[in-house]
Amino acid sequence: MSAVAAKPAAGSAMNPTAMVVGVVLLLIILAICWQIAPGLGLMALIGMVVGGVLIGFGTHFVPVGGAPAAMGQAPGIATGVAMLAAGAGLAGLFGGAWAADQGTVVAVVTGAVGGGLMMAITCMMVNFIYVFGMGIPAASGKVKVDPITGDTQPEFKSQGTEGHGLPFVSFVGGVIGGILGGGGGTLIYLMLLDVYKATLPTMMKATEAQIMPVAISAAGIFAVGMFLVNAVLTAYNITGTIEGPHDPKFKRWPRAIVASAVASALCGLVAILIVAM
Amino acid sequence: MTVKIEVIAGGIPHTNIMVGGIIASLVCLYLSYLNVVTNTEMFSFFGGLAVVAAIIWGSNTIKVLCSYGIGTGVPSAGMIAFGSGVIGMLLATKFGIAAPIVALVLAAVIGLILGYLSNEVLNMKIPAMVQSLTELAVVGAFTLMGFAVLMTGGFTFAALTAGSVTFLGMSLPSYQVSFIGGSLIATAFMLGALAIQHPFNACLGPGWTQDRMLMLAAECGFLSMFVAAVMSFALITTGSALISLIVALVGWGYTYIQYIGLSKRDAASWLDTKPIPEVEGQ
Amino acid sequence: MESIVFGIGITALTGALATVAGAAEDTESNIGSQGDPNSQVQLAPQMGYLHRIFNKAIAGEPPAYGLWCALGAGLAWAFMAMQINAVLAIVLGCILAVFVQGVYSTTAYLGRTASLKKFGQPVFVDILKSMTTVTMAHAFVAIFCTVTLCYLMNAALGHPFPLPLLGLLWGIALGAAGSAVGNPYYGKERQYQNQKFGAGVPIAQSGNIVRYAEAGERNSLDNGFFTAKLGGPASGVCFGLIVFLELWRTILFEKIGAGWGAIIVGVLIILIFAIIDRYIEVWARKTYGPYTVPTKEVSS
Repeated sequence: MSAVAAKPAAGSAMNPTAMVVGVVLLLIILAICWQIAPGLGLMALIGMVVGGVLIGFGTHFVPVGGAPAAMGQAPGIATGVAMLAAGAGLAGLFGGAWAADQGTVVAVVTGAVGGGLMMAITCMMVNFIYVFGMGIPAASGKVKVDPITGDTQPEFKSQGTEGHGLPFVSFVGGVIGGILGGGGGTLIYLMLLDVYKATLPTMMKATEAQIMPVAISAAGIFAVGMFLVNAVLTAYNITGTIEGPHDPKFKRWPRAIVASAVASALCGLVAILIVAM
Repeated sequence: MTVKIEVIAGGIPHTNIMVGGIIASLVCLYLSYLNVVTNTEMFSFFGGLAVVAAIIWGSNTIKVLCSYGIGTGVPSAGMIAFGSGVIGMLLATKFGIAAPIVALVLAAVIGLILGYLSNEVLNMKIPAMVQSLTELAVVGAFTLMGFAVLMTGGFTFAALTAGSVTFLGMSLPSYQVSFIGGSLIATAFMLGALAIQHPFNACLGPGWTQDRMLMLAAECGFLSMFVAAVMSFALITTGSALISLIVALVGWGYTYIQYIGLSKRDAASWLDTKPIPEVEGQ
Repeated sequence: MESIVFGIGITALTGALATVAGAAEDTESNIGSQGDPNSQVQLAPQMGYLHRIFNKAIAGEPPAYGLWCALGAGLAWAFMAMQINAVLAIVLGCILAVFVQGVYSTTAYLGRTASLKKFGQPVFVDILKSMTTVTMAHAFVAIFCTVTLCYLMNAALGHPFPLPLLGLLWGIALGAAGSAVGNPYYGKERQYQNQKFGAGVPIAQSGNIVRYAEAGERNSLDNGFFTAKLGGPASGVCFGLIVFLELWRTILFEKIGAGWGAIIVGVLIILIFAIIDRYIEVWARKTYGPYTVPTKEVSS
């Protein structure tokens, strides 16, 4: 029994009209921001678009196997893609927010390294469990040879499965995904924090030190919200599971770039309008 | 093999639930404005009732959306609803008494664009996607606004950032002890995100019935209202928080017992300490 | 110097708390059967295999733990704003959060099982009564440890985020780490204990989970001791390393090189973990060797 109204499978096909409409929407939103809040506001919005795109693109690298991975039937990590990416990105945001007063570049890179570190530890422990707890070596189902290490895959894939564990290319993919996600999330947070720090004191008639909790909190929850929106859009793009950068599904990334850019621009514009209107 | 999701026809049409949800939420949010009129915080519990109405509506929307097999699973729909809803809701709070209406319009626009992106740019081509994501964004905004009203007594930006801290018996204004400043909005965010997707996720299966799901939605709403009322003790007067708490507990108790009754009605059998029954062909 | 020593002490404490939290989280999600392996518990009756396993379908572990920890942290924050002592506030907050978790668990089990009426899967009320309190107990340990480490980060180490936002963040990270590491162990090793060790579950066997086991009919409580053997501690070590190393590199090295010191140390740690992972992978390939065609047909 299949789902209602059998829809054409969301293949790798790109919809050129829709991509163009997306780009046009992005430009319209940027123009609105330039009208209402040029200078700091526009810089922040561009920063948020870049951050959102980093998150969306980075989530494509994270190897997610879903329910079959939990039974050793598919390679990847046995969690949902949106939440795994969110976990790594938010761990990165934690580190990045702490380094916020050391400058934007340092903070973003710190956030990126934090996200990458979480993914590195998690991916290593996943392989640990597969190898020592379940006696299963890592094998990919989508390629014959691991692109990075040159290890052959098919003979290490158990019968009746699509592969299991995390081949080294998936590990590297996971770390890259964590790096991009952590960096992107921190960038969004820092851009919003700068805007709020500059404008909330006049808006709320208080000193900067007094409104800092509101600025930090609002920027933080917006960063979480935009993170989740971008991660879920990516999950829709790859329809749930992906083995990593070597997976053919990875070639769908241009669609996600446009979608993430427009979604982040829209959410960012609304976030800036809170203080600009 | 994954869990099979099927569409069951029948029950209350979705449009009725949607219109009912919008009207009920708006009415409850505006009833809480009596707080400003009477200069008390006693009517904050209407915020909680707005949350319950929005969650009942949202759970049916998620059911409509996920019946088409979106491929990722139910919880992500809740996440994207609240991710877009929180942003719309915070901007809407700047518009004073018009905040709920502005939240409706703004969240609908955000949801519409996200729906267009998912369906056309990401090529998902699901018939109900655009409308569902629009509705979900509005549900997210209304739920968060309801929580804000429940915990602070108002839905304007000033109310959400105002708070006081007692120091040596004196009350000093402090932005840190407020809905946004103390980041209670993060807790409200997760409360709503899970409450909206739980009813459909938990009642998933071939034996899905709509009245059971909607009763579970009401139960989730009242449970969230209960913990939010406990948190509101820090921000509004004790008496008003107590009213919210009692309303929430009564509502939760009733809906929970009803839900257990409906589950008993729908289950294959209701056994206590019995072995696994034998099924032919095992 | 003194502040660095204090910082390292707090870091060690949070690392230990995180390890306990990770272990308890994985044990709780396996006793309740949450997350991706739960799809098998849902599938089994549809394939004709009725069972007595608790079917706790509350989203996945990351969003669920994001909620419990954000809730525990939010309640603790509210109690502290009411001038209640910090330790008592955290305990009370976690008790209420666990109550919510218990209610969600019962409604999930009732809902999913009642919807499987077509296949004859009964609702076992005794499973509901015995399992719920056990998962609540493990969840309390996980939530309490996470909220406490968030409080330490905010109050003792001076992180700018308020407590509820930290609770949300680390709750999602806890769920992600515990779910990634613990799910395959529960899904493959425990649910499909009757399949051959050392290979993934063939797709044809989906749904054929173990229902009759060591002592009569298996129920979810039996999964607790099994998880505590490897899956639980591994999840604990994973989350503990994440928290500890993140804090350790920041406290010790962020003053060096205007912040770049911590970044360089972080990159070095990532490389070390990549080397360890590669070693594990190569060890498995050499020691286990490739799969060979079985000499005779193996029936399950």
